[in-house]
Amino acid sequence: MFEIITPLFLSLIVGGVFVGIVFGAIPGMTATMAVAVSLPLTYSLGLENGLALLLGLYVGGISGGLVPAILLGIPGTPSSITTTFDGVPMAQRGEGEAALRIGIVSSLVGGLISLLILWLFAPTLADFAIRFSYVEKFLIIFFALSVMAALSSDMLLGIFSGVLGVFVSLVGVYDISDGGNGELRLVPPGTEYWLDGGFALLPVLIGLFGLAAILEEAERGVPSAASSDEIAIGKSSSFSFSVFRGQTLNLIRSSGIGTFVGILPGVGGSAASIISYTNAKTFSKHPERFGKGEPAGIMASEAGNNGLTGGALVPLLSLGIPGDSTTALLIGAFTLQGIQVGPLFIGNNPTTWNAMIFAMLIANLVMFAMMYFAIRYFALVVTVPKHILFPVILMMCVIGAYTINYGIMFDVWTLLIFGVFGWLAVKLRLEIAPFIIGFILGPSAEVYFVKSLESFGTLSIFFTKSWIAVVLWILIAGSIAGSIAMSRKKAGQVADPS
Amino acid sequence: MNITIDFETSHLVFPTVIGVILAILGLAILVRDRRRIAAAGSYWRETLGWMDKKRFFGTLVLTLIYFSLMVPVGNFWPNTGYGFLFCSVPFVFLSGLLFMHDWTLRGIIPLAIVAVVGPTFVWWLFTYPLFLTLP
Repeated sequence: MFEIITPLFLSLIVGGVFVGIVFGAIPGMTATMAVAVSLPLTYSLGLENGLALLLGLYVGGISGGLVPAILLGIPGTPSSITTTFDGVPMAQRGEGEAALRIGIVSSLVGGLISLLILWLFAPTLADFAIRFSYVEKFLIIFFALSVMAALSSDMLLGIFSGVLGVFVSLVGVYDISDGGNGELRLVPPGTEYWLDGGFALLPVLIGLFGLAAILEEAERGVPSAASSDEIAIGKSSSFSFSVFRGQTLNLIRSSGIGTFVGILPGVGGSAASIISYTNAKTFSKHPERFGKGEPAGIMASEAGNNGLTGGALVPLLSLGIPGDSTTALLIGAFTLQGIQVGPLFIGNNPTTWNAMIFAMLIANLVMFAMMYFAIRYFALVVTVPKHILFPVILMMCVIGAYTINYGIMFDVWTLLIFGVFGWLAVKLRLEIAPFIIGFILGPSAEVYFVKSLESFGTLSIFFTKSWIAVVLWILIAGSIAGSIAMSRKKAGQVADPS
Repeated sequence: MNITIDFETSHLVFPTVIGVILAILGLAILVRDRRRIAAAGSYWRETLGWMDKKRFFGTLVLTLIYFSLMVPVGNFWPNTGYGFLFCSVPFVFLSGLLFMHDWTLRGIIPLAIVAVVGPTFVWWLFTYPLFLTLP
């Protein structure tokens, strides 16, 4: 275990957290983008060191979003949206630094609780999942897609996006190494040379999360960065730990909600923070103070969104299903090193598993130390001009796409295609997270589906194979029924606002 | 229901199933959102109305030119990564100018420095320490 803890390993975590906070703190840039553009660097670092960098970026990126959320009222990442509700009123009262420190401490609590759940829960789930046959594995993917679609803002469009992701992932050859027949499908004539292996995962991800985000910013005219005069950080002496008195339950509940939301595939940090915030308000003795600068609101939001970090790794490391878009990118890091994540991962790679847990722990502590003691300097990050940052990020996107498969120019064009698609998808109200998860899981779903039918020769096997299959069908039906009930309730509220 | 999968055509089984599901879902969306789809013209006119067309389409055009030129330029000096370097410097500078709101010397000088230093550093990093060939 301790042989992995080298000065390089620790420096990569520290560097990753630092860069992640910077990315998170700049509105329009996210933890996902930070991980996307840094992936090619992991090539020569090896798996454990590469993961140290990426996990540092992940934790830093999620945490950094609170800086502009509190100081400017603009969430640096979507998961910080509820931090603005109480952070901005506090900043307006001259308590900006206090609000930031409340958020930082809550982020640490959320991150550590979710890490503990990851450490305890992922190996157990993986041990259980080892017993799954192709049938149960297919149903798990089906369940993941149905949960994701059910929790989308529009269920029908969510399902469509997920299925579209699966469809796009099937472009190319039905790989012989997966038991396929080596024949091409869904490839337009004349494009066989480029699309033989389909669209590579990482250029697709870099396009969707790098280029698409910059196109969205360009569409809005690339708003200027804030000037230092606009930053309402307030007095350094206004923070005291006594503000957390009586908030233990709020912190634990919000961290738990964040972790649980993280475990659900494809549901992002914004859902984690919104649900945590709503619960904190509901159970508060003073719900009327929420939205007016109530510290408990910042605690709930930040503990919730950082709770996501460990939770999202649970399905990734135990089932091979990413919990959110950033952990989907981590699959890329594993792929680069030739390692497949799934039920066998933890048992077969104990060193990597320990390295990940240790890296997450250190990343959370480093994030806390950096942000708590240097928050005044990180606050200045929001003033970095975007006209300098965005071109450099675009260039890094190109590097990432090109080097991922050792120099294939078609991957760079894939980046452009999916960058434009990502921008267009938002306009068409398609959901990117289900699309990505569908794209990642599509090839496995195909293998499990076809092999199940080849082995058993009947569709009824998906219902009768084992009690696990029955439970999974109940869960699938429950998630869809729950979503329909929720959308009907929402429609009823719209029709009758009284 | 018994199903026999012919190995020769097994590559088409899952894409056909997914294609059919996609078509059914597409049809359901078409029926449910018919009014919104019918009003798509005005939606796109509105979007194009408030969009910063110069920056959005400028980014797309610059990116297209950047991607298109990298390999032909690189072919003059094969396996050196100069195609990336010589195309990235003007791309970073020009897209920076496109994103900049007020063109002042105080803004342009740092951009020019980043446009030269950034790609050069990345080119050096990937070519030498990381041994990854760029276009």
